[in-house]
Amino acid sequence: MPETIEIQLKKGALGLCVLALLNQADSYAYEIASRLSDAIGMGEGTIYPLMRRMQSDGLVETYLVESSAGPSRKYYRLTDAGRGALAAQSAEWTTFTQAVDAILANDAAAKEGAAQ
Amino acid sequence: MTRAEFIARLKDGLVGLPTATATDIIADYETHFDDGLAAGRTEAEVAAALGDPVRLARELKAEAGILRWHQEKNPSAAAGAVFAVLGLGAIDILILLPIAMGVVGTIFGFFIAAIALFIGGGVVMVAGPFAGFPGGPFAAILMGLGMMAGSVFIGALLTIVTIWLVNATVWYARLHYRLLKPALEPQAQAAVQSATPAPGASA
Repeated sequence: MPETIEIQLKKGALGLCVLALLNQADSYAYEIASRLSDAIGMGEGTIYPLMRRMQSDGLVETYLVESSAGPSRKYYRLTDAGRGALAAQSAEWTTFTQAVDAILANDAAAKEGAAQ
Repeated sequence: MTRAEFIARLKDGLVGLPTATATDIIADYETHFDDGLAAGRTEAEVAAALGDPVRLARELKAEAGILRWHQEKNPSAAAGAVFAVLGLGAIDILILLPIAMGVVGTIFGFFIAAIALFIGGGVVMVAGPFAGFPGGPFAAILMGLGMMAGSVFIGALLTIVTIWLVNATVWYARLHYRLLKPALEPQAQAAVQSATPAPGASA
């Protein structure tokens, strides 16, 4: 079931991607949602429950920025705990993807060997 | 789905949350529609990209319940958090209920016992010296104090266990909602995603 594993992987990676984006620059929800949905194809609505979860876990905090047009906008920035989580999770991610890559590479090599 | 329909369904799903929290959440999605329209998308496109408002409301409600539990550790917040995560449907209530009933019943029993011991200690301390307690009045006062201190200790221990249990339930439900639920509903999510216009298609 390719769909299932795809959705699970994306859902798991979404939090990490948000941390990484916010580490580059503070941002607001619509910008985060549209960048991530372009890049990894998640439903945009998922971003709001996620941002609330990260806020209640103390990984991000919000502040309001006055805007020339319309009401002031809610920006998100990383907390120290958020930067810690980003470092820990990207290390985990790298280890995990390297392990999967290694297994996939072995598998491909085995298939080539069998074909010859 | 139009913007009004989406917001209405979201509002319906958020019933039961404090008004301030619900208003805050609705404002987030209203802003999202404003931003989307400003970026040249239609209401239907934005709504389709957002996903199912009923499902989003369930998840938001659970997050709000958990946040309240983190901020104020009291019985009502604990019940709110547990019921909100149960609402996710990630925990099978029929399997969990017999276990939960036993655990909750045991904890409740111990609480009652602690209260009874506290009252008993008070009675021994106050009435003991006048009732010819073996060992004299001083021993009676000490024994009463000891019983009361013991009951406070049991009560504190029970509180720690209860807080830990609620946290464990929340953790378990979140994990399963994130990992299990999407796997059970791949069609619904795939439908939402295929309804989303391809990135760059409008550019």
